[in-house]
Amino acid sequence: MCFKNLPIEFDAQGNATLKPGVANPYSYTETPLPTPIEDDPEKMRELFARNSEVRRVDFDPVTRVAGALAFHTVVDLENRNVLETASMATLFRGYEIILQGRDPRDAIFISSRACGVCGGVHATASALACEMAFGVKPPPMGIVARNLLLSVEYLYDHPIHLSLLAGPDFSEAAVRETNPEIWERARNTKTRGAATHGYALMSDLMTDLTPLTGKLYLEGLYYTRLAREAYVLIGGKYPHPETVIPGGVSSHIDVSDLNEIMLRVVKYFDYGRKTAAIWDDISEFFYEVNPKYRDIGTRPASMIEPGQWDDPYAYDATYENCDEWGRRRWAPPGVIVDGELVTTSLQMLNAGVEEFVEHAFYEEWTGNGTNNEYYKHKTDPAGNPLSPWHPWNKETIPKPQATSWKEKYSWSTAPRWDRMAMETGAYSRIYAAAQTGGKDFRDSPYLESTGHSMKIHLPKAELPNTEIEWKIPETWGAFERNRARAYCILYTAAIAYDNLQLAYELLRKGGPDAKLSTPYKMPTDHRIGVGLWGAGRGYLTHHLEMDKGVLQNYQILTPSTWMASPKDPFGKPGPYEEAVLATPLLENYEKPEDFKGIDVLRAIRSFDPCMPCTTHMHMDGRTVSREIVSCACGAVGDHEH
Amino acid sequence: MRVLVCGVGYRFLRDNAVGVHITDTLAPQAHNGIEFEDLGYHPVGFTQNLDERPDYDRIVFVGAVDRSREPGTVTAYKYDHVLPPADEINERVADSVTGSISLDNLIIVAEAFKALPEDVWVIEIQPADETWGEGFSPEVDAKLEEITETIWTLTKL
Repeated sequence: MCFKNLPIEFDAQGNATLKPGVANPYSYTETPLPTPIEDDPEKMRELFARNSEVRRVDFDPVTRVAGALAFHTVVDLENRNVLETASMATLFRGYEIILQGRDPRDAIFISSRACGVCGGVHATASALACEMAFGVKPPPMGIVARNLLLSVEYLYDHPIHLSLLAGPDFSEAAVRETNPEIWERARNTKTRGAATHGYALMSDLMTDLTPLTGKLYLEGLYYTRLAREAYVLIGGKYPHPETVIPGGVSSHIDVSDLNEIMLRVVKYFDYGRKTAAIWDDISEFFYEVNPKYRDIGTRPASMIEPGQWDDPYAYDATYENCDEWGRRRWAPPGVIVDGELVTTSLQMLNAGVEEFVEHAFYEEWTGNGTNNEYYKHKTDPAGNPLSPWHPWNKETIPKPQATSWKEKYSWSTAPRWDRMAMETGAYSRIYAAAQTGGKDFRDSPYLESTGHSMKIHLPKAELPNTEIEWKIPETWGAFERNRARAYCILYTAAIAYDNLQLAYELLRKGGPDAKLSTPYKMPTDHRIGVGLWGAGRGYLTHHLEMDKGVLQNYQILTPSTWMASPKDPFGKPGPYEEAVLATPLLENYEKPEDFKGIDVLRAIRSFDPCMPCTTHMHMDGRTVSREIVSCACGAVGDHEH
Repeated sequence: MRVLVCGVGYRFLRDNAVGVHITDTLAPQAHNGIEFEDLGYHPVGFTQNLDERPDYDRIVFVGAVDRSREPGTVTAYKYDHVLPPADEINERVADSVTGSISLDNLIIVAEAFKALPEDVWVIEIQPADETWGEGFSPEVDAKLEEITETIWTLTKL
């Protein structure tokens, strides 16, 4: 079945159980990391004997990344490869600790502050977790309203990344500086998508990617505005909505609100076509210049995607039925291992998750598996086995200490699914949806999953109504992440359009289905819940445990925790680390001091890193670091780096 | 005459919230073209919003900024419209769209996109305590009246 490494097997009825007769079935033996090159004199001597162009290059901070990310590399400039990597989340997110003892509904508003880009998705994931714990199901219109909020949040998020964060790496200025020969070639290369995006030459397109002055950069800013305008019509404000609640939304929506949202969403039909054509051109041009560009940021296509956009007539907020309602989402749940979809079960997705802290600034809470018998949740509410390292069993025990590449070096934990590193993103949702081939996927007149591609059938706007098809690429890497994210503008617009039509229909019919929220009574007994949702950058879950009306435990697992992950106890790197290790250095440099690291940065930025930060770090009643709530603040703390 | 007074900062981070606290407090007294606004949100969004409004004759920004001064120091100055290098502006735009709120980001981004009028004033307060919580440090609390008076003075053209 879907697990190869966890001690879980399935009976004839497909029920998951622990393999029998194994004491401490989840325990493991840690694989020590090799001694870092700079701490290994013999290795250093050997490398320098071969050539003298081995350099430590640290990107601290990695700029144009939301939040505090530093990246350590050792590069061999002679052989143009990367020898060593370490991804460092340099800030602690203290939300798990701040939320303990609070009313669970506070988490909707407090956890939203974990991110200055995508606060709305945190609010919604939190509301979903509350709903499951409280046993409240929103009316269809409440679910559709949340779907619309999610859609326009993504329509804000994707242009930001493509135009403002990743786009400048492919602009005239960046290419001229790092690969002038490619710029010269761009000046003589016709584009493929001129009829759609209007640029005859690649050089024209690159010029307009230039920060601050380029038309594509400024256009990206404009589209972030349209999406925010649409968002506040339901959410009240952005990025931290005021109307997301357990049981639906607290706002009032009428036809004029829907019209205002529709007027904005349809503008993304053409913008999405144009953006997809631009990133098709960028990818194909670089591949033609040098096929090794396919290897920038490459790693196996192993992804985790909880799915999102609930079917208003399927979602019932129960864990027991989450496999059924999950498979009715517009973006279905999926775990993809090396390009193969291994499950669309939300329960198996959830049961396979563990978070390890061997190389993170936290204390291990289970005695490294030896205290397995003491962990609290041995099964989920459906009876599936859970690991001691599962978020429902996790304890957040910060332990700041000196950075060591061999021991601990990040505030990110190492999440793994079936003990494998997973990436996630806008692309994981279109990838999983494409692989379902229409099975386990909500029917939509605008989306057609073929098993190897996603066809998007949108009404014609001003641009010609050409067929739009995102195809699963043979090699997964930085350019494909960006290309897929570009297609996700259209994917998202299609889902928004679908939901808008549902909303009009619900309003027209009226009655209980058109209500926006369901009243509920706050439970005071012991409950658990999970919000299985998505952020612009991929996977997002909030796990909660409550008793006597307050939170006992709250665990947030974000996309960048998966991807910025340090190495795991099995000695395997996190996705950023793995992707950069595989990256060839194709930059044009004559002297080591000319090296800019553009290929490393393209690899990292292709993941759309978002390093949620902290307001505070509380430890034993002592504030040991502080930082402003946002995704883009610098590191402040008393830990040593 | 139109004057906009903008409070910048994060709520619930004690002194960091002084700018938005001041504009919250003064907002009910808005009159005769004097407007107060919480700008604890989005520099790019603010820049875009300004495009939609009639021009202001003066904009006054008020917020806490750590410049290693004596805690509670209030500094008011006329903005010189000098921008940092393009790379830094680009990084600040990236900071802004990903949610970072700061007085410097706000002014630089708004200026870079030519959204500000010629007459811009900045009132900075040196914070003593920016940890989680409500209320202000004694140093900043003692200066609330001075800040308010400075703002009213700057609204007179």
